[in-house]
Amino acid sequence: MKKLTKEHIEDLYAFTIKHYVEHYDLQTEMVDHMANGIEAIWEKYPALSYLEARKKAFKKFGIFGFMEIVAERQKAMQKRYYKYLLKELRIWFKLPKIIVSITLFWVFYTAFSLIISSYLLITFFALIGIWTLYKSIQLHRQFRRRKEKSNKKWLLEEIIFKQSTGMGIIFFSQIFNIINFSDKLFTSHYGIISVSIVAVILTMVIYISFELLPKKSEVLLNETYPEYSL
Amino acid sequence: MANAKLYKGSLVTIILKLLKESEKMYGYEITQKVKALTKGELNITEGALYPALHKLEAKGLLDVEVIKVDNRLRKYYKLTEKGDKETINKLHELQEYIKTMQVLVNPKLSI
Repeated sequence: MKKLTKEHIEDLYAFTIKHYVEHYDLQTEMVDHMANGIEAIWEKYPALSYLEARKKAFKKFGIFGFMEIVAERQKAMQKRYYKYLLKELRIWFKLPKIIVSITLFWVFYTAFSLIISSYLLITFFALIGIWTLYKSIQLHRQFRRRKEKSNKKWLLEEIIFKQSTGMGIIFFSQIFNIINFSDKLFTSHYGIISVSIVAVILTMVIYISFELLPKKSEVLLNETYPEYSL
Repeated sequence: MANAKLYKGSLVTIILKLLKESEKMYGYEITQKVKALTKGELNITEGALYPALHKLEAKGLLDVEVIKVDNRLRKYYKLTEKGDKETINKLHELQEYIKTMQVLVNPKLSI
């Protein structure tokens, strides 16, 4: 029975890249599937060339090729990322870290109870803004260096290192709403409590996505991809 | 091939059931096994299989293992403990569905 050579496998990797499979994790799975398909075709039609068999095997993926699989994989991995984020967030609401959360809440509550609360809220946003911008640039650079070093791009890795920027954008898209409503929010006791709770959660989400998860990336990648350290 | 739409809703159950019967399986193997078991009646498309596998993996129902086979890497899927429980639920759901459909399409049989 005809078997694929190492060169064929390399060609299949290039083939997946050409068909918009950017990430190594999915490339590997698609390469193996295509390889199995080609070898099965050869069993039936041994006279077919590699390229002919490859074309026939790829036809089974339909007119959209790998695109549907790529899109769905992205969604699934995104969910996994949020799961990791939520897992980390929960820790801050359990002992011993809940002490830090309560202290942070108290700091925000005290600050937002002052007459200058609106200015403090703007300062809070400005500080987080500068920090997230700085971290985004740093993480993007780190991601580029990692990719250059290994020559491989993993989907979860890209989400960890680039996703946080998206978080920052969502966060700051709300800044004008918050500033506009700040006068009304700070007039009531419950308003101050609500803003302080939101500020605590936002600080944590930003800290987890920009600092904690990138630092833990090696552990998370090894946990997600058994082939990561192969 | 029979009406693919009718099978679509049962794809996850089919995958889980196959994985329950064998220790671990890879994507291509699943498509071939289904084809063989149903004598070509059901053909799971690649575009439906992999998204389903990846969703199940993200939900924590499947665990993965990667092994080097020949000169390439192969990704195997296996049921987690949570996946095992879900398989039982899904199979029960499917059996109930089949029963209900039988009552509807063949009322005499159900009496």
